[in-house]
Amino acid sequence: MTADRAPVPPAGEEVRARVGALHRCRPRSRFLRISLLALAALTAWSWTSGAVDVGDLLQERRAGNLHRFLTEEAVPLPIREHGFTWERLAQWAGGVVADRGARGLAATLWISVLAIVLAGVVGAALAPFGARNLMRADPFLPRGREAGLATRAARGGWRALSAATRTACILLRAIPEYVWAFLLLAMLGPGAWPAVLALAIHNAGILGRLGSDTVENLGPGAPRALRMLGARRAQLLAYAVLPMTLPRLLLYFFYRYETCVREATVVGMLGVVSLGWFIQDARARLRYDELLLFVALGGALVFAADVASNVARRWVRDAA
Amino acid sequence: MALEAARPRRPFPVGRRGWFLLALLVAGAAAWSFLDLRVAGLLPRAGGAAIAAEFFGAALQPALDYEDAAPPGAPPFGAVVLEAVGRTVAFAAAAMSLSLLAGLLLGVLASDSWWRRRGAAGRVLQWGVRLLAAGMRSVHELLWAVLFLAAFGLSPATAVLAIALPYAGTLAKVFSEMLDEAPRGAAEALRSLGATPAQRFLFGLVPRALPDMMAYAFYRFECAVRSSAVLGFFGFETLGYFLKQSFENLHYREVWSYLYALLALVVVLEAWSGRLRRRFVA
Repeated sequence: MTADRAPVPPAGEEVRARVGALHRCRPRSRFLRISLLALAALTAWSWTSGAVDVGDLLQERRAGNLHRFLTEEAVPLPIREHGFTWERLAQWAGGVVADRGARGLAATLWISVLAIVLAGVVGAALAPFGARNLMRADPFLPRGREAGLATRAARGGWRALSAATRTACILLRAIPEYVWAFLLLAMLGPGAWPAVLALAIHNAGILGRLGSDTVENLGPGAPRALRMLGARRAQLLAYAVLPMTLPRLLLYFFYRYETCVREATVVGMLGVVSLGWFIQDARARLRYDELLLFVALGGALVFAADVASNVARRWVRDAA
Repeated sequence: MALEAARPRRPFPVGRRGWFLLALLVAGAAAWSFLDLRVAGLLPRAGGAAIAAEFFGAALQPALDYEDAAPPGAPPFGAVVLEAVGRTVAFAAAAMSLSLLAGLLLGVLASDSWWRRRGAAGRVLQWGVRLLAAGMRSVHELLWAVLFLAAFGLSPATAVLAIALPYAGTLAKVFSEMLDEAPRGAAEALRSLGATPAQRFLFGLVPRALPDMMAYAFYRFECAVRSSAVLGFFGFETLGYFLKQSFENLHYREVWSYLYALLALVVVLEAWSGRLRRRFVA
């Protein structure tokens, strides 16, 4: 046993020297260091510039507000008037949910479903056009080959197409859902469309971009082999790109669905009948007890959607 | 022929995923009918058409100055836009710094790696933390803002809190997953050298997960900037506040100035975070 024991570790001085040598040849990046410094500076500035006044929150007046909110405004009305019993609480909550909450929940759910389906369709349609390895004069062939086969104009044209698609995706997703909904509401008038479209537009931009990235990250083996056999671009798309990217795209789809449910609640505050509308209504009537209940309902819905999406993601991932 | 017979055949070339796509389309159709939507609803209503035409017409000529005569003593328009951008970023950065601290703490406490071989009490705490984080992120930042507005009144610090709370919950969940999925080789090597669990975690696991965590945190900063802009709709003086005000005063060219400012902000951040991610994750 003694013969094949690990070699005796070198003495302290030498260990230190070796660790020092390892430390000196660690990967370093000026870009990372500058980025971290810039972020630290940004954070320091954000707290000290006066834009965020923490002291304001610690004033006596704020504490009074909070106390009033917790002991009066947020307490359900029947309990405030007649004292607490579980029965009274259940009756009140059941009444509010049956009266408005259920309607809000259903509308929120359907808005999010339609929005994500529309976003998925549009995003999937955009995805191949933004992929720079597919949108080339000669898709998926090694870089060197391309130069000999295509004219300069053709190469420029394909590059412009992918650049335009990516720019369009940026424009769609850079504007937050809430702002889209606000703008669309003024143009389309009240109804569910502004909410659905706002969520669909923003998420189409995100899914389109993620889809393009997925296509670009594909291993070139299968598509290149098909290409060598003379497959056209559409055939490449149908027989190599789509089957290979679909699992990934579905994962992104569910990941975005979770955020869609969150946002569908919120855009209602602009005047679309979802939970948000009832929240805004309770706020306008200073019924903070109901507001709290609706917020909790929305939270429960988001939580349920999270769980459902997790299950579905696992199911799709393990699919044959 | 023998080969042909040996190959398993399916009646339709649709797998589970194919059925899934079909189910999604059906769900979309169901949603369409429940929401009672009409294709005609996509066309702007009478007054909306004029608004739409005027609004999109203004896209090519964003305002460089107030559209109406500025009230005396008002700062120049450009300064207002810049200040709105600055405040939007400041809220986001302050919120991110809070949620990063809380998210790191909660993320470690929610991860399996930290509680490995630490007994039942640890498990209870772990699930408590997970539940807490789930509760924090289940409520949208705008709803937190509405709650805080009701509880405290309008104050910039409430905007920061409203963003920080749900973001900390999200970071906690994602960080804990990243820690649990990090390659374990280094941690195992440290274990065989006799390192304590805390040392293995800190020097074996965290360094492997750190690039992913940093990239994700930066991505969330991008999201925080968008959230902070939208919080303006509730009276905090970020981009959304001025955007809403200009829109309601029918100053569409000013609206576009704010939209372009937001767009530029998002594009710059996205390019920055994309470069960071490509360098340190891929």
